[in-house]
Amino acid sequence: MPAMTPRALAFVLALLLAPFAWAEEQAFTNRATDLRERGSNDARVIATLPEKTEVRVLARGGGWTQVDAAGKSGWVNVFHLRFPTTVDSKSSGGGNPFSSVTSFLGGGRQTEKKATIATTGIRGLSPEDLKNAAPDAAALAKAHSYRADKPTAERFAREGKLSAVSVDNPQGERR
Amino acid sequence: MKRIVLIAVLLAALPLHAQFGGFDLGKVIDIGKKAVDQGSPMGKEFSQEDEIGLGDALTASFLGASPLSQDASLQRYVNRVGKWIAMHSERADLPWTFTVIDTETINAFAMPGGSIIVSSGLIKRLGSESELAGVLAHEIAHVVKRHQLAAIQSGMKADFWKGVGTSVVADRVKIGGGAVGSAVGQIAKPYILDAAGNLIKDGFFLRPLDRGMESEADQLAIVLAVRSGYDAYGLVSALQMLALYKGDADAASVFSTHPSATDRIADLEPFVPTVAQYAKQPQLLEARYKQNVR
Repeated sequence: MPAMTPRALAFVLALLLAPFAWAEEQAFTNRATDLRERGSNDARVIATLPEKTEVRVLARGGGWTQVDAAGKSGWVNVFHLRFPTTVDSKSSGGGNPFSSVTSFLGGGRQTEKKATIATTGIRGLSPEDLKNAAPDAAALAKAHSYRADKPTAERFAREGKLSAVSVDNPQGERR
Repeated sequence: MKRIVLIAVLLAALPLHAQFGGFDLGKVIDIGKKAVDQGSPMGKEFSQEDEIGLGDALTASFLGASPLSQDASLQRYVNRVGKWIAMHSERADLPWTFTVIDTETINAFAMPGGSIIVSSGLIKRLGSESELAGVLAHEIAHVVKRHQLAAIQSGMKADFWKGVGTSVVADRVKIGGGAVGSAVGQIAKPYILDAAGNLIKDGFFLRPLDRGMESEADQLAIVLAVRSGYDAYGLVSALQMLALYKGDADAASVFSTHPSATDRIADLEPFVPTVAQYAKQPQLLEARYKQNVR
């Protein structure tokens, strides 16, 4: 069997990874909503998507989510989407191989306290480690050394064109 | 007088069999005395100094379990974003510290007193500085509202301070001695180190806050982000990433310690526009985020 060219290898890899990529992008409209040319209420409406339209999420940002809806690409309001675990099982495509995965991630209707989930092979924090942790004073000191002072934060904000705005906390101030 | 009250409290907190069966009363009195001498509150209120000490002690232990990210420029970047937001909070003067830990676990943690820990696993999945700002603002909001302290206080048993001077942490300081022991001793007062040690053994880092606190922190996060000049939807966008996430979720992850992202997004829907209207030139800063997070 001839050696696979890099391009062929990439193609095979893409095919293998495609279902994972798709699962990470799958969403449904949670009401009828407009698919717009840009992320703005003034932008042209490309299509009106009925509730439970399956879409693929392409990008996030600024109150709008860029999606692909049956080949049409555009932006929908960030609040007008639901994700696989929160749609009826019928519309989430019965044979979803990820249903067992998505269910434990907590769906919108899950009301019970989330169960402790076993770590399955990721290099994450273990509950035992967190319960038996001994203080690392040197690491704490190093963490403190990265603190930003006020002038540094102000300069950083100016560089990013972040200007402070006065907004009252609708919850009321504590002090 | 204070000592007499203290001893009475300690005795009242002890089960009967402990009071009358082979129990070393002298030791309890001694411990109580030491706690008063060290200025222990022996009650439910924490001074701001103790709150900061407790946060430092908890952070030091967290870093004992999960390594600090070695990416110094990332640490500084996250501190700049966090400090700028915290400066617009009602507790701007706390010694705000933002610490990136190197782990695949997806989560961020707020300690009392202004110490925030965020995982590299979460950072690499965010897409813009406004999303990071939303996440940090949520944690800052927990500190501003003293949610962890409230949770600690409400779960505080009558014997919360009983182990003062006897716990593993204090023993380690005493037994270890030398540079390591004294360095740990510098983190906070001994009774605070003990309290932190007890909380950690009790699973403090893994316990969810109540739903009302999470909802309050989400709303205040939106306010803080807008006050700081960020896009109002950064947190919602970060929650959308979480809602889309498919993969492993361990017990220390946001999926175990927080309400579902989808519920949180739905709860924020009526709230965000009421705050977003104040934004003047809201920034997403996707490019700056990508420059700093590699």
